[in-house]
Amino acid sequence: MKKVVIREFGEIEIPCKYKLDLNKTRVKDCTGCWSCWLKTPGRCIYNDLDEFYKAYLDAEKVVIFAKVSQGFISGNLKTLFDRMIPLFLPYISYKTGESMHLPRYEKYPDIEVYYQGEFASIEDKKIYEDYIYRTFYQFYSKCEIKTITQSSLEV
Amino acid sequence: MRTLIINGSPKSKNGNTEIFIKKFLKEMKAPHEICYAANEDKLQIANYMKQFDTVIVAMPLYIHAMPGIVMKLIECMEPAQDCGKSMGFIVQSGFMESVHSKYLERYLSSLTKQLNYTYLGTVIRGGSAGIYMMPEKMNKRLFKQLSTLGEYFERKGTFNMETVEEMAKPCKLSKGKSKLLQLLSGIGLGDNMFWNMMLKKNNAINEKLDRPFVDKLSD
Repeated sequence: MKKVVIREFGEIEIPCKYKLDLNKTRVKDCTGCWSCWLKTPGRCIYNDLDEFYKAYLDAEKVVIFAKVSQGFISGNLKTLFDRMIPLFLPYISYKTGESMHLPRYEKYPDIEVYYQGEFASIEDKKIYEDYIYRTFYQFYSKCEIKTITQSSLEV
Repeated sequence: MRTLIINGSPKSKNGNTEIFIKKFLKEMKAPHEICYAANEDKLQIANYMKQFDTVIVAMPLYIHAMPGIVMKLIECMEPAQDCGKSMGFIVQSGFMESVHSKYLERYLSSLTKQLNYTYLGTVIRGGSAGIYMMPEKMNKRLFKQLSTLGEYFERKGTFNMETVEEMAKPCKLSKGKSKLLQLLSGIGLGDNMFWNMMLKKNNAINEKLDRPFVDKLSD
């Protein structure tokens, strides 16, 4: 299975086509310029993620090892999420009864998320997980948040 | 009451968030300081805000939450040493229904308490992506709401919940409205018109559906 790994913690190696190590890579922040929608459709003004975009769209599964930072995803991972908008169209669909940007590509990978960190309450844990599920629902990906066990990482 | 306003927009002074802030401050008697997350050191802002009794963070909604730069600022924030400090938020989004900002609101409410601040609430306004290019007349109601909110805030130190509720409408799209909007976009009207107009202006209309990151042969 073609896999991409996005990693903020841990060392468990998974065979994958592409790895984005967020401990070593600081993703350039989205500037909100909308060039990727309205000037150079599908392309960001920055090219630091071009290889990542290719691998992401080609993958069947993307595994994310995310930190919990102040009860949320880290700023660096949030920036990566912000930088995903070139993969979607500006056009909005209302078919599901709410606003949703249309897909630019034919398919998107399934997402598997593992996270590491403590929450102050059960509600805080839910805020974190609900946010991740919501994001990938809007990104047209199936998403599962899993607890780490060795067997869950086997290929 | 000393208040610091933080502009959390990556577009800094050139975006809709700045317009929201300026209108929020319009009817206030005292001047207030504004920090810009996009231009200033995040750690410095987080330290600087400790000098203020109240902090208001205004931001656009990016991917159902705060922009990455705002999360980086939040990562620098430490719990307040003294009690009695408050924090509130203003969030503006492109999608017209405010429900999209609810995920962020839940987080901001929880975060504020963890930082030992009193939560003043989150002002949410949908349908705000085009404000900077709309004629003043079309924004009249919004601008009035924002200045009313600011004037009340200066007097009472809180948000007027009636105005907050009013601004958050519509929270969700009714079945009829979403069907109508879908119908309009199907025939190239509605918000499609806005996107196509911008694409044409940029000579990019023919590339609007480009897929630069997949192999054309296998696509």
